[in-house]
Amino acid sequence: MVGMKIAGIIFSPIIGVITGLLLTGAARKMVARVEWRYGPPILQPVIDLIKLFFQRPPSHGKTFDYGLIASLAGSIVLVLFLPVGRLCPLSEGGGLLLITYLILIGPLGMALSGGEGANPYVSIGISRKLILSLGYEVTLLLILLSVMSEYDTISIFNVVRAQSENGWSLFSWPLVIPGLAYLLILPAILGVKPFDVASAPQEISSGPHVEYGGKYLALSKLEGGLSEFIGIALFVNLFLGGWSIPGSLHLPAGVLGVFLGVLVFLAKVAFVFSLNVTVSASFPRLRVEQAVKYLWSWPAFIGLVGLIIVSAL
Amino acid sequence: MDRRQLIKWLKEPLKMSNKYSLHVVYFCTGCGIIEIPPSITARWDAERFGVKPVATPRQANLFLITGYVSLKTLKPIIRTYEQMPAPKYTVAFGSCPIDGGMYWDSYNTINHLDKYIPIDGYIAGCMPRPEAVFAGITHLWTLIDEGKADGYKKYRRNYSQYRSNQERLYGELGWPPRFETEGLENE
Repeated sequence: MVGMKIAGIIFSPIIGVITGLLLTGAARKMVARVEWRYGPPILQPVIDLIKLFFQRPPSHGKTFDYGLIASLAGSIVLVLFLPVGRLCPLSEGGGLLLITYLILIGPLGMALSGGEGANPYVSIGISRKLILSLGYEVTLLLILLSVMSEYDTISIFNVVRAQSENGWSLFSWPLVIPGLAYLLILPAILGVKPFDVASAPQEISSGPHVEYGGKYLALSKLEGGLSEFIGIALFVNLFLGGWSIPGSLHLPAGVLGVFLGVLVFLAKVAFVFSLNVTVSASFPRLRVEQAVKYLWSWPAFIGLVGLIIVSAL
Repeated sequence: MDRRQLIKWLKEPLKMSNKYSLHVVYFCTGCGIIEIPPSITARWDAERFGVKPVATPRQANLFLITGYVSLKTLKPIIRTYEQMPAPKYTVAFGSCPIDGGMYWDSYNTINHLDKYIPIDGYIAGCMPRPEAVFAGITHLWTLIDEGKADGYKKYRRNYSQYRSNQERLYGELGWPPRFETEGLENE
């Protein structure tokens, strides 16, 4: 068991980073195919990263460096608390409550680092990001509360284990409502196209990333890929049953089972991500107040109704 | 295109990654900017070669100057060029940045852009069509391969000369020198 834990601590951030990068590349390819273009190769983000790590950009001070590292470290710690398949190094304890706190460290570190650059676009981007997160976090909390009260636990690992015995919660009666609400706010959590107000390249010169070049941009790209992975992994763990396969199939025990569980998990992540990419390829960017108006109307309403029904039943 | 040759990637990762990940900042001077939208959208699709427009010079390594350069726009061009991180390439569009083109006797237009910032390649024409832009990009690949696209090194080596050319136009430039102007010839 100890060996499994150490393997989880080593492998789950690596899996997160690699999956985030590959998903970004696949998203560029898919958007290109929707627009009837040929598109870049799927490994294009890796090529970009190699180039960026060779560049020598100017730094804007110590906070500029350390804020970015803190943001990346926060995301890596958050991955350790999410079960990636059956690899779940630290996720049996604090679980969902801890995640609601840790999910803020990434954007806050980015804000700290970008603010040191003293570019006006950075402060606009950060304020937009905070307004947007104000929009979706209400709904996210409602959803997490409904899941916690339905399964009577705050441990995300126990939620996944209950789903592997009783079926996925997205297809079970009261929890389908918060699941729908989560699907509605998922593009905002990931910050993809209709909700990319914080990093809009055409309006505010890519917002918090405007002063990043070279290795800073590379680190922020890694962080972006990781946070995309986290947003989807949380959904897959809470509503799509983590590693479990529907029907009477069960994964074998031992190392092979862990490996297959990770593969099943990543397949689900890729599926949910491709849904979001089709959304982002077909809708134009919303303004900030339009995004908040949308987030506080339907998803919040559905989330609230879901919480009431779950706690009444 | 040798993007899939793994041995080349292992031998020269710097050159290969710079070739196939050209992030572009466009400077919309003159008429050449109208050729950019077709070349990055669905008709010609520059992104399949890794050429991608970015919004800020800090993230870019290819600088496209699309047309004639007036005195007023030369200043932001110099600042943008100096803000880009080190392996960086410059390509100028059309006849005007080469020798002034149809504006050769204008009182307000630069005749030779090469005097003020180093240009790695020109795409001739008035204006070049997107096919010519792609030909220019592929030629830039061969230049990078042979190590001839070294404008940024040239800028650093001959900075005092470039700076004096810039100061001859404007008098006081309004920002400190990017590099030390003395004693860089040996580097």
